[in-house]
Amino acid sequence: MTAGRYRRALAELVAEVSDGAIGAEEALAGERSLSALGLTSVARVRLVDAIEDTFGVEVGLGGDWSSLESVDALAVLVSRAAEPGDRTAADA
Amino acid sequence: MTTPEGSPARAAGATVEFHGAREGEATLTWGQRLIWRAVHLMGDSQSFLNCPWVLPVYGRRDLATVLDALRVLLERHETLRTTFHGTPEGPVQRVRRDGRLIVDLVEAGQERALRAAERIAGELSTTAFVHDSDLPLRCAVVLKAGRPMALALTFSHLAVDFQALSLLAEEWKILLRGGDPPPADWHPMDQAALEREESFQARSARSIRYWRAVLEEAPLDVFDHSPGEPEDPRFIEVGMESVALAAAAETLAGRWTISTTSVLLGACATVLATVSGRQRAVMQLVHSNRRDPRTRTMIGNVGQDGLFVLDPSPSDGFADACREAHRAAFTAYRNAHYDPFAMQAMREEIGRLRGREPDLDAFFNDRRTIGTWPGVPRPASGEIADLTANTRTYVTNAWPGVRFKAFFTVGAATDTGQLSLIADTAYLPRETARAMLLGVESLLVRALDEDVPLAAVPRVCGVGPYAGTP
Repeated sequence: MTAGRYRRALAELVAEVSDGAIGAEEALAGERSLSALGLTSVARVRLVDAIEDTFGVEVGLGGDWSSLESVDALAVLVSRAAEPGDRTAADA
Repeated sequence: MTTPEGSPARAAGATVEFHGAREGEATLTWGQRLIWRAVHLMGDSQSFLNCPWVLPVYGRRDLATVLDALRVLLERHETLRTTFHGTPEGPVQRVRRDGRLIVDLVEAGQERALRAAERIAGELSTTAFVHDSDLPLRCAVVLKAGRPMALALTFSHLAVDFQALSLLAEEWKILLRGGDPPPADWHPMDQAALEREESFQARSARSIRYWRAVLEEAPLDVFDHSPGEPEDPRFIEVGMESVALAAAAETLAGRWTISTTSVLLGACATVLATVSGRQRAVMQLVHSNRRDPRTRTMIGNVGQDGLFVLDPSPSDGFADACREAHRAAFTAYRNAHYDPFAMQAMREEIGRLRGREPDLDAFFNDRRTIGTWPGVPRPASGEIADLTANTRTYVTNAWPGVRFKAFFTVGAATDTGQLSLIADTAYLPRETARAMLLGVESLLVRALDEDVPLAAVPRVCGVGPYAGTP
């Protein structure tokens, strides 16, 4: 699965963990960072937990905060964790 | 409960009989384990952990309706029917199916009913629970000329956290309207089973690894200076109410694209670091920990503490420190999911390696359920400083032994910024504690106009390193 295929599911997780404060479409649009859209630290923790539970991966940030600021970046993170050998244009 | 002359008088008592769907015994949840340990550490001061709460009676309801709604709460939520017991295999929770709660009926007299209820809830909270025999709540119905106006309650923190109390308040409204609240199908016994699963154990192990890495090199003490002569009682809570604090925090949060919690946390940590004479602040964050969807609507206690480290570069400005606080808070929250007993074993091991455990008795707790203050005006940035003229500070509580060196709490008021600091007066005199709160306000207000260099924080805040009494 390419990173692009995770985007919809991730956007829906963003909506879920923010109790609807951030819409899935808004998250998918990627015009503003998730912080700018109002994702709190606690909601971000819920998001990481939900990603780990949903995709069966361990999210390691390695200090790279930007990985948690957009659905696209999260999709790349999940893609690399789930399919370490898979590199496609969507990862670029 | 006291009944001062001319104010409310106890009228009588009533009994609420309950018959729940399930009884049982289980190990404690992680949240309960944390409080279980705190209860035993605090000894005679454990009433600090009680949770006073008021549920207004909406509309004109008779006493029977009010008591019946209370019965439904007791039957719906196992945590309200739970006792806690030490056993040779470790502490356990026991849920009763049936029982009765004795409720005081108190006439408010000349006093406003809600004010009387708040006062009575506070009074009910001054006595520690006997956890292996008492139900984990006490309740009085406050009446005005015989009509129920409010429930005054206190809960054991083993049974609820503040998120649970907010959920109970929502249910209470529905029940008084005669409606059906959403199903209550997840209870602490279920949570305890969930926490034994592999995925939860893995998260616990990861959290403990993070804490260990911090504790291996964290300062051994919150303050380096020797304790002075404390007040009696030794621990006091100094409060501040500041519209300016809230307005500034909201403006800065918007400007820096971080939460108001991170702004306040960054400011409190910066002031604490300044007073301790260090660059780095290490604090525990009280965290609601309602992360799993099943847990989020549970009435119970799932709160745990996160470990927060703010260690900015001396050349940074306050804006950078707050952004760093935002990231560090995420790391702290992410690693606030652990078995407290396993955590304690690790901390004791660190204690053996370093000679003693690092003192982690500096805390931050944001009790708000929303990240804004809807009742606070939105003045232009340049006008916020003028609001500081209305700021007031006061001493709210005192305890003999709550064991905190410094404990910041953001209160739940929505029309003003409430910030309090519980201080160990052996280390922080009352005036220093007050100066720290005002320093947080000053820092935020100044940051509206300039990025305050961290080197300038003592001058801006009016509080510098405190070296103790001569």
